[in-house]
Amino acid sequence: MPGEQSAGPIIREDLRGRDLVSAKDLTRDELGIVFEVAKEVESNLDGFSNVLRGRRVALLFAEPSTRTFSSFYIAARRLGGDVLPLNEPEMTSLTKGETLYDTLKMLEGYGADCIVMRHPSRGAARFAADVVSAPVINAGSGSQEHPTQAILDVYTILKKRGKVNGTSLGMLGDLRFSRTVPSLAYLVSNFDDVELHFIAPTALQVRQEVELYLHDRNVRYTKVTKQQDIPDAISRLDVLYVTRLQKERFPDPSEYERLRGSYKVDMGMLRYAKSTLGVMHPLPRVDELDTEIDRTPHAWYFDQARYGLPIRMAIFALVVGETR
Amino acid sequence: MSLEEQLLVRKIDWGTVIDHIPNWRADQVLKLIEVESLIKEPDVSVIVLKSVPSRKYGKKDVIKLYHYFIKESDAALIKLLFPTVTINFIRDWKVQKYVPNLPEELVGKVRCPEVTCISNARREPVIRRFRVLKEEGYVECYYCDALLEISSIPDFIAE
Repeated sequence: MPGEQSAGPIIREDLRGRDLVSAKDLTRDELGIVFEVAKEVESNLDGFSNVLRGRRVALLFAEPSTRTFSSFYIAARRLGGDVLPLNEPEMTSLTKGETLYDTLKMLEGYGADCIVMRHPSRGAARFAADVVSAPVINAGSGSQEHPTQAILDVYTILKKRGKVNGTSLGMLGDLRFSRTVPSLAYLVSNFDDVELHFIAPTALQVRQEVELYLHDRNVRYTKVTKQQDIPDAISRLDVLYVTRLQKERFPDPSEYERLRGSYKVDMGMLRYAKSTLGVMHPLPRVDELDTEIDRTPHAWYFDQARYGLPIRMAIFALVVGETR
Repeated sequence: MSLEEQLLVRKIDWGTVIDHIPNWRADQVLKLIEVESLIKEPDVSVIVLKSVPSRKYGKKDVIKLYHYFIKESDAALIKLLFPTVTINFIRDWKVQKYVPNLPEELVGKVRCPEVTCISNARREPVIRRFRVLKEEGYVECYYCDALLEISSIPDFIAE
């Protein structure tokens, strides 16, 4: 009975029922609201245990995921919600040839109050948001976007630096096929005096639509494409966001072998960096980020991963949670 | 129309005249209007003139669609690609100049250049949509944000 439940936190209604398809969907004020709730979650976890009571959250993951899936799963459960996990190919029926449209309609029929979705096709989350009336949270749409990752990334910067304004943020690695990089670039464009440095070979540079968006919003950015310019770029940064160069993305494998060393982040590369530089990584890492860094104050990535839970709890609470 | 033009280009009494197409670009306009689909229309004739002398532009292409009126949405798309184009609808020799409103969105007609876009997935009931970024010279996929240069649209007409 609702009357018997302990009094939970007061959740603002600003984002209630909203889709979260793109990082472009959020204003700076709305992002601030997510951060406020995330901070409250961190300090008063138990207070949120009934926020999703009686709500059904479907996790539709049509692509492999461990971390993102688990953190959404745990987030919904900690808030007291019911979870419908569809993360095995045979459970989604998508591998049997069922269309995404039919799968979404089925989930709607099951009474899902919110659908968290990862899908290999770009644009799948926008399509889903148009198909179902329940709010859709994009947990990765091909190489397009991963907005909740970007929210926790910006939250990490805020927690570690005390501010996001004025951040010189470098993004290094495969920027062309990364889904976290566009979302992070879009989200930080809400802040003042942010400077972006895209560090990648030309073939893996940031996509045109990202550049166009930054240009329209008057965000300063540079593209660093030459190996010899990397140390100078590193020396300017407050935050370095690392993604992996993937061998299969290179038309010529020898090109990959030639470049991989220059894009490996280790103590050698960080000798050019400010002492306060924070290194971030969406994880999992393979060999692009040397474990030596783990023991230094540069390593922000484990805290970054940890913030995934309060941020996703905050998003659920705001989008689909019980309000008093 | 100069005498030389008149000799080359016979007037039609019924149908559409797409004039002032940039020189040698008539094929792109034909793609936009999906001219192949007119094969099912026995009364329609398609007259294509390339590299015709033009007082204004030196040379131009002209398309006449006898007994056929192009869709307003196609007229808008042609105008978006080729701003110099003029479109006339002819009924009983009477000429009505048609000035289309430039579209803010393209719906259904254009295929996304990004192969992994959901709008290119077979069997999904997705309505293709693009936002027109006229000043930048692109259209942007509503679903996946991929950009397509306006000048490349004829290569991405959906089948």
